[in-house]
This record gives sequence, C-alpha cells and structure tokens, in this order.
Amino acid sequence: MSQLRAEDIYPVLRDYVARELLHGEDAGLTADTPLLEWGVIDSLSLAELLAFIEQRFSIQMAEEEVTPEHFQTLGALSELLARLSRAHA
Amino acid sequence: MARGLLALGLRRGDRVALWHEKSWRIVAAMQGALRAGMPYVPIDPQTPPERARQMLRDCGAAVVVTGRERAERLGQDLGPLAFITLEGAPRSDLPGLGWEALRSLAGPVPARAGQPDDLAYVLYTSGSTGRPRGVCLSHRNALAFVRWWARELGLSPADRVANHAPFSFDLSVFDLYASFLAGACVCLLPEAAAIVPGRVVDFLLREGITIWYSVPSALRLLLEHGPLMEMPPAALRWRALLFAGEVFPIKYVRQLRRRWPETRLLNLYGPTETNVCAFHEATGEIPEDRIEPLPIGRACSGDRIWAVRADGVPVGPGEDGELWVEGPTVMLGYYGQSPQAGRAYATGDLVRVLPGGEFLFLGRRDDMVKVRGYRIELAEVEAALLVHPAIRDAAVVAVGEGPAGRLVAFVEAREAPPPLLALKQHLATHLPRYMIIDDARYLPALPRTATGKVDRLQLRRLWMEENDTKTHAVEEVKTR
Repeated sequence: MSQLRAEDIYPVLRDYVARELLHGEDAGLTADTPLLEWGVIDSLSLAELLAFIEQRFSIQMAEEEVTPEHFQTLGALSELLARLSRAHA
Repeated sequence: MARGLLALGLRRGDRVALWHEKSWRIVAAMQGALRAGMPYVPIDPQTPPERARQMLRDCGAAVVVTGRERAERLGQDLGPLAFITLEGAPRSDLPGLGWEALRSLAGPVPARAGQPDDLAYVLYTSGSTGRPRGVCLSHRNALAFVRWWARELGLSPADRVANHAPFSFDLSVFDLYASFLAGACVCLLPEAAAIVPGRVVDFLLREGITIWYSVPSALRLLLEHGPLMEMPPAALRWRALLFAGEVFPIKYVRQLRRRWPETRLLNLYGPTETNVCAFHEATGEIPEDRIEPLPIGRACSGDRIWAVRADGVPVGPGEDGELWVEGPTVMLGYYGQSPQAGRAYATGDLVRVLPGGEFLFLGRRDDMVKVRGYRIELAEVEAALLVHPAIRDAAVVAVGEGPAGRLVAFVEAREAPPPLLALKQHLATHLPRYMIIDDARYLPALPRTATGKVDRLQLRRLWMEENDTKTHAVEEVKTR
C-alpha cells in the first residue's frame, strides 16, 4: 500500500464527518474542531468512523490507538493515520 | 483521604465534590468522604466547567477532588471551596492539598462517622426546570439495594465485577458497593475505553469479568460493532448480565441468550430517585416471533411498587397507570428541597399491569427522554439553546432508539440561523456531551397545540416524514 499524507487524508475525513455526522452542514468544520467535546462524535459514530477508515484507507487501527486524543480533532486523526500508513508501508 | 478532609477543616455533613476521570484514587476519595461522615457528589469528568460550577454552588460543596488543570479552570470564585488534586499539588494561590501532601498526613485513621440515614451521596440528573437537580440518597437507601442484589446474585470474592457506568450515574453504586460488600473485585473500565467495542471486549477477557452491569445501548454496541460475537462463547466468564436505564429490544436479549445460555439476563428498573426497585429475569428460550420487550418486572430491594390511574385509583391486571415506588431505597429528596424520606415516589413512568402481576413499561407522562441510556429533560436542552442570542425559541425531540438515539432541535431564529456546529459548540459550554443535539432544523414558527404548547408530536412527524423521504431516495438510487 502506498504511503498516505495527512493533507490527503484530511479532506476525505472532513467530507465523511460533514456528510454522515453533520448532515451535510460543514460550516465551521476545520482540522481543529473539537469533535468529542462538541458532541460531533459519540460511541456509535466512532465505531462507524473506524469501519470507514478501515475500508477507505485499508488501515486497521490497533485498539490501543483508538484513544480520545487521536479522535479529538480531524487534524490529529489525519496525522495518526498518515503515521500508521508509513509504518505499514 | 479522610484525614485530608478533616485536615482541611471539613466536618461531618460537608459535601465533597468529585470531578475526575475514573481511577482508584477517586474511589479512595469516596471511601474517605464516607468514613469521615461526608456525602460525596460525583460530577461526570466530561461536564463543562460552567455546569460543574452550577452543581458545586447548588450543593454548597466544601471541597472538590479533581485534577490540577480542572482546579485552575474552576478558579477561586466559588467561595470557601478547597481543592484536593489527585496528581501534583493545587496551584499555590488555591487552598487545598495535593496527592503527596495527602499521603504524608500522619495520625490514626479517623473513626467512622455518620448514621444510616445521613446523606451518603448526591447524584445530579437532568432537571425539568432547565437546571440539573441533585438526588439525595442515604446510606440506608444505597445499602438496601446493594445488599438485596449481592444476595440475589450470590456475589462472592470469586467474582470480578465490571464497572462500566461513570460514577455520576447510579449504576456504578451497584458495581462499587455490592463488590465491597461481597469482597468481590471491581474492575474499572476507563471512560476512554468504554466507547471502543474492541477495547471493551479486551477488558472483559483480560479481567475475567463475571458480572456486567450497563445500559442496554452499551451491550448493543458490543453486539453490533465489536468482536464479541466472533469469539468462542466460553472465552467469556460472565455469569450475569444486568441492564437498566432504557428498553432493551428483545432481539438482542435473544442473541445473548442463544450465545450464552447459562448466563443470567436481568432487566433492572429504577430511576435515580429510587435505586433499583424492580427487575425481571429473562429465563428460557426467547421465541423468534416474540417482539414485546422484557417487562420492568416485580418489586425488589424491599420496596413496594404499584400503578395508579390519573385520578389516584390503583389499577389492576390489564390496566395502565403511573408507577409509584415506596420503600427503603427511595431517596431522601432533591438537594435544597425539604426532605421527603419515607414518602412514596411517583416515577412519571406509565406502565401496564400484566396478568401475572408484573409491570410493563409503556412510556413517559412528561418530556423526559432516554437517549443512549442517559436520562434527559428536554426542557434543559431547550433552556441551554435559548441562551444563544440568535435563537428566539426552540423545542427538542428525541428520535431513534438504542445507540442510534438522537436529539433533534427545532429552532426559531431571531437573525441569521447559526450552523449546526455553532449550536453544538454553544451547547458544549452548558451541557454534558450526551445532551448536545445531533441535528437542527429551522422553522419560521414552532407548531403549537390548541393550548399554545409546542406540538412535539407534530415535530416528530415532520422529522419522520423528512427521513422517510431520505430513506426512499437512497433505496431508489440503490435499485437503479
């Protein structure tokens, strides 16, 4: 699998969150929006987001990587996925 | 911990607030407070500071046990509040003790203070007046329930009890105190792990959990998204699954029964105000064609329950009414209101009396809803929305069920309607996360009934129509 860069991952994740979790309303959604704190992501949507990541990027996150810090913002998540993709490549 | 509380000059009856992630240190704080005869007030770690302040003021807390960062965020504007920080020491300008200072306190363990009818803890629930409300429970209230359940389950030192619920949620009272009573081991599932099904299953295996107690939504998340169903059933040692807080659709109960036929499945019932006052055990095979959910069941914990009609007349088998509870587990009252110990409590839950004398939950008689097992007063979410300067009026409805339960706001805007994310950001400063709306719709005017009340039924209908259309559209695309 080719290596992914955070700047390529971010727009895909942003598009997913806007479409699936904000019902298409992406106004104000940035790499720094606190997703957990503002109730954008909850336990069910987290499970669905993980499934999306696995399917879209072929990256399986280890359980211990699924932590609130990594899902706090789209920026943090994109960085993590880019790191994982480098490690797996 | 008890020494520390006394060293800070606190006395029996003073309230000890706890605002921290789950850890054994916070459990020690609960124990220390009880030892010193002081009730504790657990605040969910995700509570925004504004709301935490509101609770601290409401119960007149004398000390808050927390982390250094939260202590600083609360600051000093809360009167004589002292701080105990569980990591490091409080900032030098804040009164209080750090963990190391606490550990270095010498002297005998303070004598046990307090009586069975003293306040043991205060649990804040969503309030219909738009503010959180503190439910006051005594040692006797908690013990009546915990003793009954430890006996019913035959809890022993061989058991390993999972603690899934936050300490601010009454399910945790069973986890902690039934375990202590029986000498069982209680295993804390950290908040961060509880939202990831794979990590929960790891926890179940690693800790060899024998007793699990949670809201049904948590079990559903495991059944639908975790590796739970792919594992050999014998890998899990759970011998009893307890669930409470919302209706558990029967198909999931059937799934659990088939997979783990030897595991007891217990549906517990009871608002925070009464602890668990009723239960039903699912026994035997659950037929494929059964659709009705498990009943609330019959009374337990030494309580008496019955249903009454709107005119106060008790109802019999086949009839519907509101459920009332009386007995040793019923709360002392709400914080700041005159105590009502010994009085019967009207739950607001509508039930049907079944032929065998058990009770079946039908719905609520007011605007309280359960979303993902959390109890939410819609008025409280609406009150928080109305604080936003761009909002003239708002009504919130709950849609969906189980883990897919959602809060939708219908809003009349005063000016340019704020985007959904802005509403979420606004609510996040006033409400816990589980009360933040999932979606919003702007209307020129909220629909009203003939009496001028917001017509929630109409709002739910609007929502369903819109979403039916969406579902149809998706299906159309798929079939093309």
